[in-house]
Amino acid sequence: MPQARLDAFQVIADPSRRQILNLLTKNSLSINHLAENFDMSRPAVSKHIKILYGAGFITIEDIGRERYCALKQDGFKELQKWIDYYNDFWKSKLQKLESLLDEKAKRSKQSK
Amino acid sequence: MKTIKHTFFYSHKPEAVWQYLTNAELMSQWLMPNDFKPVVGHNFQFKARPMPNFNFDGIIYCKVLEIVPNKKLVYTWRGGPGDGTMTLDSKVEWTLNAKDNGTELIIEHNGFASDESMLQIFSVMDAGWLQNIKKIAELIKTA
Repeated sequence: MPQARLDAFQVIADPSRRQILNLLTKNSLSINHLAENFDMSRPAVSKHIKILYGAGFITIEDIGRERYCALKQDGFKELQKWIDYYNDFWKSKLQKLESLLDEKAKRSKQSK
Repeated sequence: MKTIKHTFFYSHKPEAVWQYLTNAELMSQWLMPNDFKPVVGHNFQFKARPMPNFNFDGIIYCKVLEIVPNKKLVYTWRGGPGDGTMTLDSKVEWTLNAKDNGTELIIEHNGFASDESMLQIFSVMDAGWLQNIKKIAELIKTA
């Protein structure tokens, strides 16, 4: 059954999925190895892994008899997109605020 | 870059800057149309341009979290595709510091990455994703 496509923020909103990503920051790990770190069932861990994979946060590769997960940049880029957008947004808004404040000060000086 | 922080200096008193941060009419002149009220717990909206690429319908849903007149203002900053889900869930924090000849205004916009542990992962992704791919390559070789 196909997973509903979650966006990057929904994907990382789940603590178990964040923990999986955290574990993978140190090393690539097999799905079996990852599952050992959780109390939930192996299928439940697999479901989270599928979601992370679907959103581009991890890669899955078959190595020997094991399936290995590693971090992938695409999912993170999705988040970065918002951060970059708002970084520029605030910079230009704050410049606009400066010119408004300056204009207002000039006007009130003239009216005195 | 994981969080947004800008520091601006305005050669105007904090009271003057504060007006532009907390008066809905003045806010709309430089920011966006809104129905802000300087009351903790007040829910308000900014009307922006929809950005379908970002899963964003053009409405920013906010709630006032903290107000210290002329010094500090905090509100949530959330948005989504318009179906009730909030795909962007962040927080905007304004700090005003009175200086001899004006005001230092600091904006911090954060919460994009849910919690601190995600920030750590972000930095690993910045610095080490190539390394991670190399590790995979080595594993494949030794398998």
